[in-house]
Amino acid sequence: MSDSIFDSIKTGDEYEITHNNFTRTDFVKYAGASGDFNPIHHDESFAKMSGNETVFGEGMLTAGMLSVVPSKWFGATSIKKFGVRFKSRLWPGDNVVFKGVVTNVYEEAGVPHVDMDLTATSQKDEVLISGSATCRPWAP
Amino acid sequence: MFGPPVALISPEGLPVERGKIHEFACAIYDDDPLYHDETAAKAAGLPSVVAPTTYTSTQAFFSDPMAEMSELGDLELNMMYVLHGGQEYEFERPIFAGEVLTSHKGEMKTYTKQGRRGGLMKFAEITSNFTDEEGEIVLRLKSILIQTAGVVEK
Repeated sequence: MSDSIFDSIKTGDEYEITHNNFTRTDFVKYAGASGDFNPIHHDESFAKMSGNETVFGEGMLTAGMLSVVPSKWFGATSIKKFGVRFKSRLWPGDNVVFKGVVTNVYEEAGVPHVDMDLTATSQKDEVLISGSATCRPWAP
Repeated sequence: MFGPPVALISPEGLPVERGKIHEFACAIYDDDPLYHDETAAKAAGLPSVVAPTTYTSTQAFFSDPMAEMSELGDLELNMMYVLHGGQEYEFERPIFAGEVLTSHKGEMKTYTKQGRRGGLMKFAEITSNFTDEEGEIVLRLKSILIQTAGVVEK
């Protein structure tokens, strides 16, 4: 793994991942992987009884997919900080753009650091999650 | 949180496992070999595959929900009205398959804010520190809970 990405990165640089047509199966896969078995994410009748049109995705599914932006961009071992705020729900059929924008490039104790803003935005231009991350090269 | 657990794991802790990491990374559509390919991880000088950033969510499988709930008791939240508002991770280092982490409840605090659509919202911030087998903190995790209605003012 090369750390060269940290040499060339500058404020304003962007990285984007698009995932189209989220399915109920995606929600179920994440429930099984994470252990979040709140039926509101997989049980249609429960979701409707709770006042929802249908089931909706786990916030942590959207957050997990947003975390792929910094880890793919700067490396799986580079994550120093990652934070999210949940804004809106993910529905079956949604198309979502997961995006990172570099807000600061600096050194801390001689180690290059990159701060970025993160957003997950649906096809309705609705921000599902906003967040931020800090990456730095890490070596064992 | 939804029905009592069939059984609790022993010894206690959050086991970070290669198969679970593969499953978790698939669920968030991340094909990075460092999550799936032990050989690639070792070739990169790592002890094993890396745990994805939000992997500690799998703690739901390994913790005692009753103990968790009673720890939240002091916050006086009405869980009927509580939403997950946010989540913040601060890593000392990456986490690898083969480790067993222990979570320690850290600081808990609550505050209220005026909601945009009227009504007071109560916020609770709960910090968990995850330590490795040497007792070193590897991750500080903050969960932000929001109670949107039925607020009891202290």
